[in-house]
Amino acid sequence: MNKELEHSFVELLEKHQNIVHKVCRLYTNNYDAHNDLFQEITIQLWKAYPKFRGDSKFSTWMYRVGLNTAITLYRKSKRRISTQDFEGVAFKMKAEDYDDTEEQQLKVLYKAVHQLNDIEKALIFLYLEDKDYREISETLGISEVNARVKMNRIKTKLKTILNP
Amino acid sequence: MDELDILKKSWNQPNAEHEKLSVKDIYPMLQKKSSSIVKMLFYISIAELIFWSLINTLPYFYSDEFRQKLEAIYTNEYILTALTVLSYSIILLFIYLLYKSYKSISVTDNAKRLMESIIKTRKIIKYYVLYNLIMAGISIIIGLYYSLHNDPNVSVQFSDFNTKQLVISFAVIGFFTIVFIASIWLFYRLIYGLLLKRLNKNYKELKKLEL
Repeated sequence: MNKELEHSFVELLEKHQNIVHKVCRLYTNNYDAHNDLFQEITIQLWKAYPKFRGDSKFSTWMYRVGLNTAITLYRKSKRRISTQDFEGVAFKMKAEDYDDTEEQQLKVLYKAVHQLNDIEKALIFLYLEDKDYREISETLGISEVNARVKMNRIKTKLKTILNP
Repeated sequence: MDELDILKKSWNQPNAEHEKLSVKDIYPMLQKKSSSIVKMLFYISIAELIFWSLINTLPYFYSDEFRQKLEAIYTNEYILTALTVLSYSIILLFIYLLYKSYKSISVTDNAKRLMESIIKTRKIIKYYVLYNLIMAGISIIIGLYYSLHNDPNVSVQFSDFNTKQLVISFAVIGFFTIVFIASIWLFYRLIYGLLLKRLNKNYKELKKLEL
């Protein structure tokens, strides 16, 4: 891999790193696991980068590699992650946006989302990223109708978790 | 307001816990080794190819007794050569299939296709192990048959046995052969089971969506 390629990749990743952080936020619930997954996604992105063609947006390409790594390739074995860890590392907003009620609400929401399975989290991720059902279905390899049906079910499931 | 809308509002804000990484932080990450399941699968398949090739060839090169016995069983040297060529061709075929299968694993495929290519690769390794276990079973049976007929020590001992003793001897040998093969099989199931547990679960979940 030449230096130029490495340089362009690192710059693009630095610019779009929030996408990877967001994947990690959904699939992990402690600091170390977040870093571990971030590292693995970076390696996968880098390995696939020579085949990346400019015809798709770098960010769109990142969704796919990031989610595939989180759902399929990543091994959690290095550090055991349990849902109990979540309380200790609740999602924190930046200081200037600090709002206690809102933070509490988010904390509860993230806790609920962490109870979903990997595929459901992937759908939530793409939904939060404002992807349409066509793109969701293409990323996961399911039909558009099924993506839509599943998304509605997840919303109901979240409601049930939040209001038992 | 929908629960997800609340989440959406803060979704694009950076998480305070993970500071924004700089270019300098990212560079060293590229040098680190991947610990993905594909990498693990790759190492295991290489280890298996080497392990079974050694098991099949080492006794032939290191033990004169084994070579003599083998040559005695296959009195026709063409048969022995043909079998050797065949077994190496099968190993080469597996190497080729594995290589092709690894090449087809692409992290930029959709999630379902990616999972299917990994499952396919794992199946090829499974068939390779199965092939070797079957060959091991056949070798044990041939070896036993040969010993009974041609090895004076064994055949004398067996000829002294009454029917009951013979049945017990065969039962014991059969039992240990099955235990040996089954324990290797279980060992592999355990390795792959642990490695691919999450993948299998997620694949089932995706398949379920299509029902």
